[in-house]
Amino acid sequence: MRIARPAARHRALKWLMALTRPYLGWMLAGVGLAALVILSNVALLAVSGWFITAMALSGLTGAVINYFTPAAAIRGLAISRTVGRYLERLVTHEATFKLLAGLRQWFFEQLEPLAPARLQYLRGGDLLSRIRADIDSLENAYLRIFSPSLAALIASLVMVIFLLFWSPAIAFTNLMGLMLAGVVLPLATLKLGLHSGKAMVEARADLRQRTSETLRGMAELTLYGNPSQRILAIQTENTALITPQRQQNRIDAISSAAIGLISQLTWLGVVVLAIGLVQSGVLDGPSLVMLTFFAMASFEATAALPLAFRAWGETLSAANRILDLVDAKPSVTEPSAPQPAPLRFDIQFTEVRLRYPGAMNNALNDVSFSLPQGQKLALRGASGSGKTSITQILLKFWDFDAGTISLGGQNLRDLSGDTVRGLCAVVSQQVHLFNTSIAANLALAKPNASQEELFEACRAAAILDDILALPDGFNTLVGEAATRLSGGQARRIGIARALLKNAPIVILDEPTEGLDAVTEEIVTTALGRLLIGRTAIIITHRPKLLTLADQILTLDCGRVIKHINQSKL
Amino acid sequence: MANSPAPQDKAHTRTLDLWLRARGKSVKSPLNIAVALGGMNGFFLIAQCWLLAHVLNDTAINHHPLASVWGYIAGIVGLFLFRAGLNFAQLRFTFEAGARLRSDLRSQLFEHINNLGPAFSRAQRSGAIATEVVDGVEALEKYFSLYLPQMQLAIIIPAAILVFVFPFDWVSGLILAITAPLLPVFMMIIGKQTEKLNQEQWQSLARMGAHFFDMIEGLTTLKLFGAARREAQFIGKIADDYRLQTMKVLRVAFLSSMVLEFLAALSIAMVAVYVGFRLMYGDIHYLNGIFVLLLAPEFYLPLRSMGTQFHARMDALGAVEPIIDLLNTPLPPQRSGLNTLSLNAAPTIRLEHIHFAYPAPTGSSAPPTPVLQGLNLTLTAQTQTALVGASGAGKTTLSQILMGFIPLQSGEIWINDTALSSLTPAAWQAHVAWLPQNPSLFHGTLAENIAMNPADINLQALHEAAAAAHALEFIERLPQGFNTLVGDRGQGLSGGEIQRIALARAFYKNAPVLILDEPSASLDLESEQLITEAVARLSVGRTVLVIAHRLATIEHSAHIAVLDRGHITEQGTHAALIARHGAYAELYRQYRSAGL
Repeated sequence: MRIARPAARHRALKWLMALTRPYLGWMLAGVGLAALVILSNVALLAVSGWFITAMALSGLTGAVINYFTPAAAIRGLAISRTVGRYLERLVTHEATFKLLAGLRQWFFEQLEPLAPARLQYLRGGDLLSRIRADIDSLENAYLRIFSPSLAALIASLVMVIFLLFWSPAIAFTNLMGLMLAGVVLPLATLKLGLHSGKAMVEARADLRQRTSETLRGMAELTLYGNPSQRILAIQTENTALITPQRQQNRIDAISSAAIGLISQLTWLGVVVLAIGLVQSGVLDGPSLVMLTFFAMASFEATAALPLAFRAWGETLSAANRILDLVDAKPSVTEPSAPQPAPLRFDIQFTEVRLRYPGAMNNALNDVSFSLPQGQKLALRGASGSGKTSITQILLKFWDFDAGTISLGGQNLRDLSGDTVRGLCAVVSQQVHLFNTSIAANLALAKPNASQEELFEACRAAAILDDILALPDGFNTLVGEAATRLSGGQARRIGIARALLKNAPIVILDEPTEGLDAVTEEIVTTALGRLLIGRTAIIITHRPKLLTLADQILTLDCGRVIKHINQSKL
Repeated sequence: MANSPAPQDKAHTRTLDLWLRARGKSVKSPLNIAVALGGMNGFFLIAQCWLLAHVLNDTAINHHPLASVWGYIAGIVGLFLFRAGLNFAQLRFTFEAGARLRSDLRSQLFEHINNLGPAFSRAQRSGAIATEVVDGVEALEKYFSLYLPQMQLAIIIPAAILVFVFPFDWVSGLILAITAPLLPVFMMIIGKQTEKLNQEQWQSLARMGAHFFDMIEGLTTLKLFGAARREAQFIGKIADDYRLQTMKVLRVAFLSSMVLEFLAALSIAMVAVYVGFRLMYGDIHYLNGIFVLLLAPEFYLPLRSMGTQFHARMDALGAVEPIIDLLNTPLPPQRSGLNTLSLNAAPTIRLEHIHFAYPAPTGSSAPPTPVLQGLNLTLTAQTQTALVGASGAGKTTLSQILMGFIPLQSGEIWINDTALSSLTPAAWQAHVAWLPQNPSLFHGTLAENIAMNPADINLQALHEAAAAAHALEFIERLPQGFNTLVGDRGQGLSGGEIQRIALARAFYKNAPVLILDEPSASLDLESEQLITEAVARLSVGRTVLVIAHRLATIEHSAHIAVLDRGHITEQGTHAALIARHGAYAELYRQYRSAGL
């Protein structure tokens, strides 16, 4: 595993600071209010203690006392504690939401040039949920870390300075207690828990993996293995998760008890010191009681620190992962002087070679073909043979290492990615439909499409009747969708979207894979309409689609092993 | 900020709450102990305040020297230590309660998944279930370790404090008591507020998060349509709109918790002021006054931290729903007997009048989808029968029924003269080997993955099986050989190698009945040849059913059956079927013309 170098830590910290800068005003206001709440509470109890003792003494001795000021102060502090808390919550939430909006937009903008080449693992869902958690902990960094720690720091400073006016020894004792309970013990706990924390994360991932492989392989386990043994194995994995958790719980329980004990011993120490000062005549009775309450309440300042420290490590690694992700270099460099879009759409590959970073073998080895405008090229071959690589480099999602590709007589490298992609419509096995209405999903291809155009495209894609049969028609939300739209329907919406785009080049990536026979028939017919008059590259194994092709290119390990040109027959 | 969706409505929330509480009964004793420990802690806190009141009374009012109060101070230190122990024990007990509950629930979930069998697992997204079983169950932890015990302590501790305050100063007791009946009211207010926050804010936050990640997932699509940069502006704008809208709600929502804070602060202030004045007039003793003032903040402390507990509850409610759904998935009706089966040679298998329909999804009024409709087919002993048909014709369903994964709905399968329905599923499955289209590997060594029974591996047979499946060559090239660890997606192994491991599994099992799902067309040419050759050898002397997805490899099958809409429409040899010019001949022509 990689250990974070100091530079990396520094980088994350610097970045976090830059990220929060625009909202600094709100954030500092939130911190100030949080400190105010803590101090009001401490002052409320301290003044109360002073007040009742002074009143008792005046009752006993008959001394005259100004009770208006402290009584008013007590009420005032009660109000400032309450109102301060209310405002603090509003301000910190406002700051958090502002941070959230900024962070998300920033992240999306950084990610955009990297897709899909550098993000190809996103599909797996693992990285996506990782990103989700990372963005989440960054968004909460202010609420969970910055605000409580800064407020604790400010409040502690003010309190210690206040105590210095009474007695350096008391101030020192209280400061030590605050440091121990707020910083030293939580840090020690973190360090002690490092081992079990790592074990917990690993055990959880193991258990997750074991569960999903059991589900995936249930049929084989039933036929070949012993499922009850499998259950036992998973129970062992569960124990492997509980054991480090128990260890962690022991550490946490000890730490919690110890922090409680330290703070209590601290205020008791303050009481003993103050009693000594009363004896020597430096302090009076009411001050003794005031200092007692003061020290007792002072530990509210550090109460949130253990959790803040825990979140800190998490946030730092989240920041580093996010930075690693967005720091990746885009795989395609845009031309410095992009040429305008070509007017012809024939595609020519000449000895194109491609090797993915870190791969042992070339993904494409001297691939050549010539596809005249309006013709269809089918690509066949095992997975990993290079079919998808051809479409990825044509779409300028990846750069190739050698050879030339020309599009309508222009060198592909002289065209910008946006220009090339503007000329292509893609329908793949997995059509991504966004969590919004069907209409909005279609409008992606043509934002100003008229209703007639929408209807026409959907009719050609053989999806119009399906859409109109839905209770909300085109306004049906695709959100809860996987259930409401079948795979075949989603693909036909993808086809309608491609039709709306009305691009001269069509790229199909196994568009009928995994469909049942009837649906395949419908989708194939719809695809036939999309292909009319367009230049197309089709990745497929299905006989029906293959009959639409003019040329069939069979690939194996990045090499063309068979090239059938039916148009010449 | 939101990780799990919030429950939808109140009645529903209540059902989930009741389910969780019912589960909590199974760990009643550790939870009760934890609450008792917390209660004791509260009691000793009162005692501690009482001793401290004495110290302050003696020194601040009566000016006794420090030496005279050491006894009290020693007592206080003793209580500190004792309470620290109680605190530790309480945390340990709540953890153990939660841990046991999670383990039990997980076992139950696994058992249920296992009982639901392969037919259920096939239809699930394994990742989603894994998340429910692992992370969903984890999310319940705090409901039991935090929410349930703290809810009880939030009533017990203030009540105990009140009992002690009254005899010492009835006015302060009254001030606290007036707010006491409001406690349940406040709990409800806070509970409702959190719920409301959940339903309105949390949900729209979750929606916004979903939109954001939806955009990231669909980034390639956005780029293809040149819409990515436009969306980036949108994301910022949506989040900003959300902020404005949410803050409007929060401004009101936070008010209700402010009322609680306000009452707590005001009561303390009132106690201080009233006690102060009555001390001045000599109405009460200082000892009593200071004792009451020390207790006042503790009275409200459990309530003020209630918000955290409610959040723990909402997290659990969000996570528990899919868990309950999974546990409530009904087991398929069983049609199996108790007999066992012994076979000396590969049997003849007759499928008679097999009907099968998938039930409509729950809540739908649609009729069940029929798949097999009175299918008849004989698999002759020791020969290979190939099943051909368009995708969706029912080939997979038939093989699932034949392997005993889906119970028969009607009709019967005869193994020689034994009815399948008279056997236990396991008795029949012991005689069946299966080569799936996409074989699964499991975390473990290659040896374990071939033998599939880590307790009992016959090394000799293992080597022979691997050699027969053409797997030995590449296994021996690996530095760890048969002890090489592989993961569930077969890290480091190619598709062809995984297929050969699965073949070795079938050779190792050496079962008389073999079901072959033709591998999908994603193998390199060399692997394909090796596998075809090995499969031919594996088939010798066994009763074999080949589920054919392509036609090239089955031309030489002894018997070919064409499945169409739940019936066998044609059967015979390749030559005979071609001569018939029927569905098979047409299918064959299509594949040929496509160059396959």
